[in-house]
Amino acid sequence: MPSVIRAPKRISQLQKATRPETKPKGLLKEVIDLKAALAIRANLTDRRRADGAVAQLAAIVESSDDAIIGKDLQGTVTSWNAGAEKMFGYKASEMMGLSITRLIPPERQQEEGEILNKIRHRKSVRHFETVRLRKDGKTLDVSVAVSAIKDRSGKIVGASKVVRDITERKRSEEARRTSEARYRALFDYAPDGIVIADSESYYLDANASACRMLGYTRSELIGLHATDIVIQSEVAHIETALGVIKARSAYHREWQFRRKDGSVFPADVMATMMPDGNLLAMVRDITESRRTERALAASELRYRRLFETAKDGILILDATTGMVVDVNPFLITTLGFSHEQFLSKAVWELGFFKDIWANAEKFAELKDKEYVRYENLPLETSDGQRIEVEFVSNVYLVNGSKVIQCNIRDVTARRKAQEALRQLNANLEQRVIERTTQLEAANKDLEAFSYSVSHDLRAPLRAISGFSKIVLEDHSAEMDADGLRYLNQVEKSAQQMGQLIDDLLTFSRTGRQAFNVQPVITADIVNAALDDLKAMQENRRVNISVGDLADCEADASLLRQVWLNLLSNALKYTRKCDPAVITIGSRREGETDVFFIQDNGAGFDMKYADKLFGVFQRLHLADDYEGTGVGLALVQRIVQRHGGKVWAEAKLNLGATFHFTLTGGQDAA
Amino acid sequence: MQPDYGETEILLVEDNPTDLELALRVFRKHELANRIEVARDGAEALDFLFGEGAHAGRGGLQIPKVILLDLKLPKIGGLEVLRRIKGDPRTRTIPIVVLTSSQEEKDLVESYELGVNSYIVKPVDFDQFSDCLKQIGIYWLLSNAPPKLNAP
Repeated sequence: MPSVIRAPKRISQLQKATRPETKPKGLLKEVIDLKAALAIRANLTDRRRADGAVAQLAAIVESSDDAIIGKDLQGTVTSWNAGAEKMFGYKASEMMGLSITRLIPPERQQEEGEILNKIRHRKSVRHFETVRLRKDGKTLDVSVAVSAIKDRSGKIVGASKVVRDITERKRSEEARRTSEARYRALFDYAPDGIVIADSESYYLDANASACRMLGYTRSELIGLHATDIVIQSEVAHIETALGVIKARSAYHREWQFRRKDGSVFPADVMATMMPDGNLLAMVRDITESRRTERALAASELRYRRLFETAKDGILILDATTGMVVDVNPFLITTLGFSHEQFLSKAVWELGFFKDIWANAEKFAELKDKEYVRYENLPLETSDGQRIEVEFVSNVYLVNGSKVIQCNIRDVTARRKAQEALRQLNANLEQRVIERTTQLEAANKDLEAFSYSVSHDLRAPLRAISGFSKIVLEDHSAEMDADGLRYLNQVEKSAQQMGQLIDDLLTFSRTGRQAFNVQPVITADIVNAALDDLKAMQENRRVNISVGDLADCEADASLLRQVWLNLLSNALKYTRKCDPAVITIGSRREGETDVFFIQDNGAGFDMKYADKLFGVFQRLHLADDYEGTGVGLALVQRIVQRHGGKVWAEAKLNLGATFHFTLTGGQDAA
Repeated sequence: MQPDYGETEILLVEDNPTDLELALRVFRKHELANRIEVARDGAEALDFLFGEGAHAGRGGLQIPKVILLDLKLPKIGGLEVLRRIKGDPRTRTIPIVVLTSSQEEKDLVESYELGVNSYIVKPVDFDQFSDCLKQIGIYWLLSNAPPKLNAP
């Protein structure tokens, strides 16, 4: 870019101008003539010398880059130099005798009148900046100076006008302003703090970020010294820093700054010396990056610990070379090779993984697999032991290069345990089968036993009973009273034993027979049972009151047996009461219905209550109350089979109450 | 040979000698015992009915008015005898009363499935036992109308 103000060319150069013959014209000629006349009058002997001077002046005018224009007081052009031709694009021949106003843009036409007015009143027009039109219509930024031309009598006859093209200068100024604005914006809005200090480190300016960082306003900060904004231990470093900066070296160091409120923060400082001798420093708060670094370091430490203490083997490989990058202590222990043995080798040279990476080619083939997993990979340790491992490898990027991480878990023990467990399960299954078979056999035996009891024990009883009767029928005449009584006793005993066998068989069958639970209307069952027991109510006064009876879910035939046994007991043990009072009902206790049968009969002593439900257990003499001791045992068995429980409350000779439930037996037990 | 009721009205299949004696006494006492054939096991019962074994020389079938069948029998058990009689078109119309000591539900169910006409558990008490037999005799020999016999 050419400089705005051209360096003046030296006269010697002007003398060698390319157009020495060019004759001055018009106004210029007049000036020359005038100057020449003055010179003649002053010193005729110097005429020759004066002629030379005129020619020299004319050459200067012609060779000037400025437009030098002469005009009369009407604004008519009277001279037009080469500079004017070049600047405006009009030839001298085009402009001579024409009005200068054609060079002036329409909106500035009044300027010419003002200029000429000033000239008429002998005022000179110093440089002023304005705009003029070229022949091609383009505008020019120009600086204009106008001075008067006088004739010999001193009368003002015209004006000479020197016009300088300042378009370039204007553009340059504009560019500088833009640039300054840009740097100002950069300064103002930079996220980093920027401070300017004098050479003694007193602050001259600071941007918004610096103010915010340090907690001062700009006006507070200006005038402070570096010592005011760093912590005490940093003060000693200020001199050193200034030394470096002044030696024009790049300066970069982390400083501990102190804010206005006394808090401290770390910042990176880059400083330099500016051409004017002041110092420029850029301050970057690195609190956040320090924190991140610390977090990263902590994280790295944690993962390193994990790696070091993991109870799985971890092997890190360079995916490109296959070389072992790292191996954790657990794998070293597991495989029995040293850290050095691992690190000096490519993974296929180690030999452990020959089933996966037999050689470099195989490794290259598999290295890009994102994920590889083997459940049971056999490995051989350094002492020749075979172990099985679970092997998992993942590929990931570390700083742009691929790394393979292999996790290796020794599953030998687990496999052995699994095998043992499998064996155990197989054995258990076998044992279950065996026990089931045994149980089935035992059940069959039991069934056969019951069958045989049912058949073979009754036949002889029937014989005893039968033949006793026959003897009594056919031969009673031949026997005395004792004989007859004895025979009667034989017959009665046989019957009793028949009853025992029947009860026992019923009891044993209850445990085995099919169990079919369904909704049951309790009142129906109770009424049916009472009907069955009509015989026991004949020839005596019995008051039976049946209260509310909750319906239930039960095996109907078994439940009927329960009611039958309990009601027949109630009737039996109230035989000596007049009247017998029996109350039947149910009540709700929590989630459970409790059924009860209360009588005012013989009752029993509660200290024998635990014997009440045992098989063949009797609390009364057979002479008083007949029975086999199976009825309540059967009741208990049925109730328990339903998941309920049965219990009794009684006082000797004051009656008994039997309670039972069909659910909640386990909880209540 | 034309089948007929021949001499036998009751086929009593009973292995227990005392039960047998008691039963025969009841029938005798009530004059129901004139035409009773006794088989002591299942095989004997079948031989008698089908004219086989010891009865082979007789020729033809013997069709009693009723068969009183114990279940627990030597050689061929009562249920098997029941199955054979009811499984043979020539004999399946013969009324069969199971007379047994067994109260096992299994026996009861199976007997009815095989087509038994009645199932009676022998009472231990002799009076009840004799009542029971008397009723059986009267019912099946006198009250009940026997099936029409078909030619084989």
